[in-house]
Amino acid sequence: MLFNSVPFLLFFPVVIFLYFLIPFKYRWLWLLAASYFFYGSWKVEYLSLIVISTAVDYTVAMQLVKKKSKTTRRLLLITSLATNLGILFFFKYFNFFVADTAFVQDLYLHHSNVRAMVDLFTYALPVGISFYTFQTMSYTIDVYQGKAEPEKHFGKFALFVSFFPQLVAGPIERYTHLQPQLLGNHKFTYENLANGLRLVLFGFFVKMCIADNLSTYVDMVYANPAEYGRWSIVTAWVFFSFQIYADFHGYTSIAQGVALIMGIKLMDNFRTPYLAATISEFWHRWHISLSTWFRDYVFIPLGGSRVNFLRWCINIMVVFIVSGAWHGANYTYMIWGGIHGVLYIIERLGARVIKLPKEGFSFWRILGIAKTFVIVNIAWVYFRADGLRNAQDIFKAFSQDLTDKSLSVDPVVIGLLIFFILLDGILFNKRFDTWVGDKPLTVRWGIYALLLFAITAMAGSVNHPFIYFQF
Amino acid sequence: MVKKIGIRVIVVALMLVGFNYIYKATLWQKDLATHAHLLPDIFVYQDSVEMLYFGESSNFSYNPVTDSITDRISDLIYAHYPTVKAATINSSALHAGTYLPLIKRLPDNTTVKTIIVTLNMRTFNAATIHSRLETAMMKSRMMYLNRPELLNRFLMSLNYYDNKTEQERDDDMWEDWTYDTLTWLPDTFPYRTIKDWCAAPKFVKPDGSYDTEKRSLADHYVKAYAFQIDENNPRVRDFDEIVRVCRQKGIKPVFNLLAENVEYADSLIGDELVYIMRKNRDFLVNRYTKMGAIVVDNLEVVEGWDYTDQNWTTEHYGQIGRLTIAHNVAVALKAVYGDYYQESAIEMVVK
Repeated sequence: MLFNSVPFLLFFPVVIFLYFLIPFKYRWLWLLAASYFFYGSWKVEYLSLIVISTAVDYTVAMQLVKKKSKTTRRLLLITSLATNLGILFFFKYFNFFVADTAFVQDLYLHHSNVRAMVDLFTYALPVGISFYTFQTMSYTIDVYQGKAEPEKHFGKFALFVSFFPQLVAGPIERYTHLQPQLLGNHKFTYENLANGLRLVLFGFFVKMCIADNLSTYVDMVYANPAEYGRWSIVTAWVFFSFQIYADFHGYTSIAQGVALIMGIKLMDNFRTPYLAATISEFWHRWHISLSTWFRDYVFIPLGGSRVNFLRWCINIMVVFIVSGAWHGANYTYMIWGGIHGVLYIIERLGARVIKLPKEGFSFWRILGIAKTFVIVNIAWVYFRADGLRNAQDIFKAFSQDLTDKSLSVDPVVIGLLIFFILLDGILFNKRFDTWVGDKPLTVRWGIYALLLFAITAMAGSVNHPFIYFQF
Repeated sequence: MVKKIGIRVIVVALMLVGFNYIYKATLWQKDLATHAHLLPDIFVYQDSVEMLYFGESSNFSYNPVTDSITDRISDLIYAHYPTVKAATINSSALHAGTYLPLIKRLPDNTTVKTIIVTLNMRTFNAATIHSRLETAMMKSRMMYLNRPELLNRFLMSLNYYDNKTEQERDDDMWEDWTYDTLTWLPDTFPYRTIKDWCAAPKFVKPDGSYDTEKRSLADHYVKAYAFQIDENNPRVRDFDEIVRVCRQKGIKPVFNLLAENVEYADSLIGDELVYIMRKNRDFLVNRYTKMGAIVVDNLEVVEGWDYTDQNWTTEHYGQIGRLTIAHNVAVALKAVYGDYYQESAIEMVVK
C-alpha cells in the first residue's frame, strides 16, 4: 500500500478515527493490527520476516537484562545482530554475493529447487527490510548498553517494530524516542490535526508533483544516455538530485503528518540538504535518521574521532561505504558512499585551513553550497545508475557530447521545480507545518490552494514507487 | 472544534470544485492530447454525425507494396452512404474495453444513431487480455470516464486503475495458457491447453529437427486462437455493456466481426483450431444478434494471401480484403439505412 494511492487515502483516516474512538488501553493493539495490515498488503508472506525479527529481538532484550555474564550478553547481542543482518543479507545481498557465481549459476540452470530459491531472494525483496531491521538492532544495542529498558509486553514491542507510518522507509526511530509516544495517551487536538495535514499535503505535493514529474525525464536519459547531449545529461543529473530528495522528503513528510495527527512526533529526516556548504553538513541534513544511526552504532563503536588520523580515515570510509551498501547490493552504491567518504576526509583536512561560516549566505558559504551541490550531483550518478556500465555511459555521454538531442521538458514541470526549490530555500531549517502555521490566514490558504491544485492537476502521470522502498 | 473542522472541509470541497473548472480551462486539453487523444473526437462527433465507426489498426492498415486503394475500411463503408454524416474513431491496439467508456461519453441526445464497432476475435484471448499494453490503455481509460475531469486526473496520477507490472501480466497470461482447458475438442485430442498444444511437435523434418519458422508461426496461431469464449470473458462483458449503453441511448450497435486468417490456421495447425475459431464465431454472432445488435460475420471472407502480415496473426488486410469487409458491413447497414444505400464508386472501379 503506497502512501500515494487510493487505498492509503482511505486507510489512514479510518485508522486515525478509530484510534481516537477506541479506549486508550486497546489503542496499541489497534495500531499493531493496522500496521500489520499495512505491511501485509504488499505480500502477506513478508509478515513472517517482521515477526521473526520482532520475536528474536524481544527475547534477546528480555534476556539481556536477566543475564549478568558478559559473554552471555555478548552472545545474545550477536544473536540479534546475526538474525537481523542474516535476513537482510539473504534478501538483499544473496544475489550479489552468491547467485552470480558460476557455481550457483550452473545449479540454477539444472535444479528447479535452486532456481526457486534464487528467484525468491532475487525478486522478493521485502519492502522496508533495511529500515525495520536497523530499527530493531538499535533497540537491542541500546538495551545491551543499558541506554534503554526492554519492553516487557511482546505486542507493544511488535508495535515499535512495525508502526506503519515509518515502517517501510523510516525515519529509523530510536526506541527511547518512539515507544513512549506509541504508548502515550494522546488526545485529539486541532493543532495536531492541522499540522499533520499540512505535512501530508506538503508530502504529497513534493512526491507527486516534483519527484514523479522529474522521474520521467531522468528515466529517459539514464535508459539511453548516448542519445542525449551534454546539457541534457546535466539536466538529468540535477533532476535526479531533486527527484530523490523530493521523493524521500515527501514520504517522510507524509509519515510524520500521519503520525502527528495521532500525537506521535517522528524525527525529521531532512533539513534543506542542498543548502549544505560541506559534505559533513550535507550528512547532518540528509537522511538524518540513517546518518545518526551509523554514527551511533558503527562510527562511535569503531572509535569515532578519538583515534589517530589514519584510523579515523578508515572509520569514515567504513561508515560511508557500508551506508552505501545499505542502499543496495551493487558496486555503484558503494562507490557513491566512497565518494562521500573521500570528500568528507578531504574537506576535514581543508577545514584546518579554511573555515566556512556555518550559517548565512556569505560569498564563501555560497561557493561552498555550490561546490557541495555539484559533488553530490556527480555522486548521485552512481546511485541512480543501473550498474557501473550505465554510470560510465552517463559520464561518457557528458564528456563526448556526441548529439545535440535535448530533453524537451514541460514548462509546467520546470515551474513546479522552481517553486519547490524556492520553497525549500525559504523553509531552511524549518518544517513546512510550523512555517506555514505562522502565516496569516489568507496566505496559508493561498499556499494550501496552490499545493492542492498542483497535486490534483499537475502530479506526475506515471506514479513511481518511492525510491527508498527498494531499500 | 467540529465546527472549525467542518468549515474547513467545506472550504476544501468548494476549492476542489473551483479547481475542476480551472483545470478544464487550462491543463485538461494538454492532458487529453497526452493521455486520451480520442476523447476530443467524441466531443466533435457527438452532435455532428449520425454514424460512428470504432476501430483499430485493422481499419487503416494496408499493403504499401501492392495496394492502390488505401482507404480505411470505415471510409469504404461510408462510400455506400454518402448522404449519411459519418466519422471514424480509431487508433492502434484498441479494443472494446477502450471503446466502452468512449461510447458512454456520448450524451443521451447525441446525433449518433449507429455505431460500428470492430469485434476482433483475438482481443478475447489471454495474450490480449493480459497484454503489456493494457496498463497504458487502462491509464488512458481513466481520462475517458464520465466524471469530473480533475478527479480523473488525480486518480490517474494515483495509479487508480489496473496497473499491473509487465511481469504480473505475463504471469497471468502464462497461467491462462497453462490451466485454461479446451473442453470443446474431442477427448481423443491430446492437447487440452495452449501450453500443451505449443509443446507438441510440429513440422518435424526428416532428420528430427524442426522447421523452426513454421513451428513458431504455428504456435503463434495456437496462442492467438486456441481459447473458448464464454460469458466470463472480460471482452464479452465489455460488448454486453456496449449493447446495453446503446439501447439506453437509442443507438444501433453494429459489430464488425473481423476476418482472421482461418486458411493459415488450417494449414499450420489443422481442423481442431479452425473448429475452435468457428465455435467462438458462432458464440459471438448468436449472442449479440439475440441482444439486438447487427453482427456482420466477416471471419472467413479474406483469403490467406491478402493478409499484409504473413508471419504474424493480425487483422491487417490488403485492398481486396478491406473492400470485401466494408461491402459486407455496408450491406448489413441496409437494415438501418436501406433508403440511403448506394453502390460504391471505388468498388465499381475494382470490379
